[in-house]
Amino acid sequence: MAENAELWRHRRARAVRIRDRLVLSALGGLGAVSLIRLADWWFRPAHVGQPILFVALSLAFWYGMSRIVLGWINYAAITRPMDRAAPSGLSVAIFTTSAPGEPLAMFEKTLAACARIRYPHRTYLLDDTRDPRYRDVADRHSAKWVELAGIPGAKAGKINRALELTTEDYILVLDPDHLPFPEMLERVLGHFADSTVGFVQVAQAYYNQERSFTARGAAEQTYAFYGPGQMGLQGHGAAVAIGANCTFRRSALTSIGGHGVGLAEDLVTAIRLHGAGWRSVYLPEVVSRGLVPEDLGSFYKQQLKWSRGVYEVVFAELPRLFGRLRWRQRLSYLTIGTYYGFGITMPIFLLFPYLYLWAGIQPAAMRFGEFVGYAAPVGVIGVAIYLYVQRWLADPARERGLHWRGLMLKMASWPVYLAGSVLAVVRAEIPYIPTAKEAVRGRFLRLCWPQLAQVGVYAVTLGWIVYRRLWRTAEGALALSSEAVWGMVFFATLPVLLSGGAIYAAWQARTPAAGGPWDVVDPDSLGGSVS
Amino acid sequence: MKRRYRLAVVATALASFAGGVWLLTTFNTRSEGPLASLLERMGSAVGSLEHRLRGGAGRGERSQRLRWLEPYRRDASRLRHPQELLLGAYDGGIPATLEGIERLEQTLGTTLPLIQFYTAWGDKPDQQFPLVMVNAIANLGSIPVITWEPWLSDFESSRHPHIALRDVRESHGMASVARGDYDFYVDAWAQAASRFPHPLLLRFGHEMNDAYRYPWGPQNNTKEEYIAAWRHVVERFRLAQADNVIWVWSPHVAYQYWEQYYPGSAYVDWVATGVLNFGPIAQWSKWWTFAEIFGTKYPELARFGKPIMIAEFGSLAVGGDRTAWYTAALAALRTKYPAVASLLFFNVAEDQTVTYQKVDWTFLADSILTRAVATGIRELTHPPSAPR
Repeated sequence: MAENAELWRHRRARAVRIRDRLVLSALGGLGAVSLIRLADWWFRPAHVGQPILFVALSLAFWYGMSRIVLGWINYAAITRPMDRAAPSGLSVAIFTTSAPGEPLAMFEKTLAACARIRYPHRTYLLDDTRDPRYRDVADRHSAKWVELAGIPGAKAGKINRALELTTEDYILVLDPDHLPFPEMLERVLGHFADSTVGFVQVAQAYYNQERSFTARGAAEQTYAFYGPGQMGLQGHGAAVAIGANCTFRRSALTSIGGHGVGLAEDLVTAIRLHGAGWRSVYLPEVVSRGLVPEDLGSFYKQQLKWSRGVYEVVFAELPRLFGRLRWRQRLSYLTIGTYYGFGITMPIFLLFPYLYLWAGIQPAAMRFGEFVGYAAPVGVIGVAIYLYVQRWLADPARERGLHWRGLMLKMASWPVYLAGSVLAVVRAEIPYIPTAKEAVRGRFLRLCWPQLAQVGVYAVTLGWIVYRRLWRTAEGALALSSEAVWGMVFFATLPVLLSGGAIYAAWQARTPAAGGPWDVVDPDSLGGSVS
Repeated sequence: MKRRYRLAVVATALASFAGGVWLLTTFNTRSEGPLASLLERMGSAVGSLEHRLRGGAGRGERSQRLRWLEPYRRDASRLRHPQELLLGAYDGGIPATLEGIERLEQTLGTTLPLIQFYTAWGDKPDQQFPLVMVNAIANLGSIPVITWEPWLSDFESSRHPHIALRDVRESHGMASVARGDYDFYVDAWAQAASRFPHPLLLRFGHEMNDAYRYPWGPQNNTKEEYIAAWRHVVERFRLAQADNVIWVWSPHVAYQYWEQYYPGSAYVDWVATGVLNFGPIAQWSKWWTFAEIFGTKYPELARFGKPIMIAEFGSLAVGGDRTAWYTAALAALRTKYPAVASLLFFNVAEDQTVTYQKVDWTFLADSILTRAVATGIRELTHPPSAPR
């Protein structure tokens, strides 16, 4: 615990200065020129190879570029709300839920931490374990135990039922794996002084990210979102609720008929509140720490849930609420709702090099060297902006970096995202299962066979290319095809290198770390200022 | 305050956008920018590496067959006075692939020491020094012959404000080349050529006396202007120490006054002309024998005292006996025209540079003809490029 004491301090993203905005604008301007130059080059008639495949490739490529631009647009609005002191006398509830199979020891720590939150409040444990020991834990930490077994709608269903049973004006919905710091409510409640504020979300941070490659990668994927990402959404008036650590105004929830239900219950709730005219506040502050999935299997399950759920924003909520949102909110929700389209575009990028290397089919008649020349400036500026906005990470000392593990996990997750996307389009339902709180032992082959298959296909292809070009191809044909062939090999190599992360993570999942990460946490040492 | 900051932010974004445009266009004016040329060099290096690996695997046969050409590939001065007749070809598959050259060679039972291709002046990437192509040809063991066409209209006015606007540029364009208006392009090309580690034959501004074809012809320029342009370009190359460049002057001998375009012995290494029999396909043509097209001009061509190249050699099939045409031509080259030091086949299936319909110069499908040509060139080129 001692060496980790710094982890548990209260931290916040730094303020946004004018100089920062000027730098971002300058980078954005350069980025825009580079993108226009790239687009002007890309869409030349001479570049169309096989027309249908060119359209597919363009779609995949410009989907990726549009994600970059949407990120830049989001960062243009980066805002950190002013501090507002919490008035005394507000009535506040904390809801946390327990489901069968969730580790009892974790609740000891969570409820102990809740009891140490300074602002007067009442903690409710919404329990459907039918296990008396959970009631004992609640009693020990003076939390109110509410039995809510067999209620449909999973977590959100329990929250809605509990809303009927309670009267507090403000409700902090806390995931049970999160250990709140004593200052949590003090930081949040002042913002409700503005009577149009419907909810206040704080950052999600983690305390188990060093326990495995998967945990670190999964955490890395969220760092930018809980720093500059949500700060940008805040500036656009579209800071969203993220399931955990969100404090709602009761009247706001009632106005939309209660907390949203479903796989993306948090986003659905947020867009409905925005549609009903409520404002939201995002505080880029670490006032609690929770868990990320530690094993690859749990991570994939979580990602499947999210990728299936998030599409509901696009397909169900956005069309319905479109007229009631401001255009910046529409753009923001569209950005969030289409994030997992990556699962559709990734197979195109994976497949196309092999189409050329095996069958000679060329979707785009572009010279590799030229492509690099046009795409590199966009890449350089993209990385520059990514690194620049890291000054607004909630905990920069721990979170800064290139986040290559997160990228590797994202690359590995495309089959999951693809499944989520397809299930969303065909409107197939998948059950809501809480993300595992403890690492689950995984079978190596079952977890990473797609990556192993990819490496296998790549190795065979590479061997065939080398053999073909050294012994089979006529010299005259060899002479001028080097750039095209080895350029395509380059495009096939990148994802293979990046798939190494998933293979390693699957290997690690065979032997999960022993013990719960909460075992070593002392609830008395949470919070406080940075030393 | 807030409004002032907003204005500052917008202004910064706009200024940086404008700065980016300026930077990019500035880079673009300098031919293709440092990144593009670096990537071009890398691409070419990968090609060369591949060839070396293949040679290491004992599979670089073509260059092995051309080992006799090494003295010429090492020493440009030797190529100014060749001791053997050097065969070569241009193939319609160029610049995409050199497979067609290989097919031609297999059918004719020879390996061609020269490979010709065409490239134009201009701003586009494929109009810069053709590094990838010359290296590919060198890797195959051959020597490149580049027909270099000064299409002045392919330069963007916006990038080159100091040259005449596009619609008036070609009028006396050779005079502006001679004045140095295009040195930005000529010098870059010359420097790149000087770095090429082998000799290359450069056939610049060919058929300059034909008023119906290319913009560098007499419809736009005087003879003196053409000669001045030639000499200026050669001098720029000499300044860049591109001594590996062999200058091939190539008039169209069917049109008169061609000899008056000769830039002078000090500026020319080879003289060349095309010998293409179109047969009766157009009003202006009929079935001409090799002797009628070339033989009648040979004495004048030989008078320059330079090696002679037949840079485009071929006959169409319609209107006469093609086999007899080739057989007679090759036999006559052996006996009557000793100054001819190079013969380049024009292996193009869909040529419409002169006529409005596509014409086919290839003959590989005609096995009687290919046997005749194979025999003809075997006797012509003894001993070096003889049987494989």
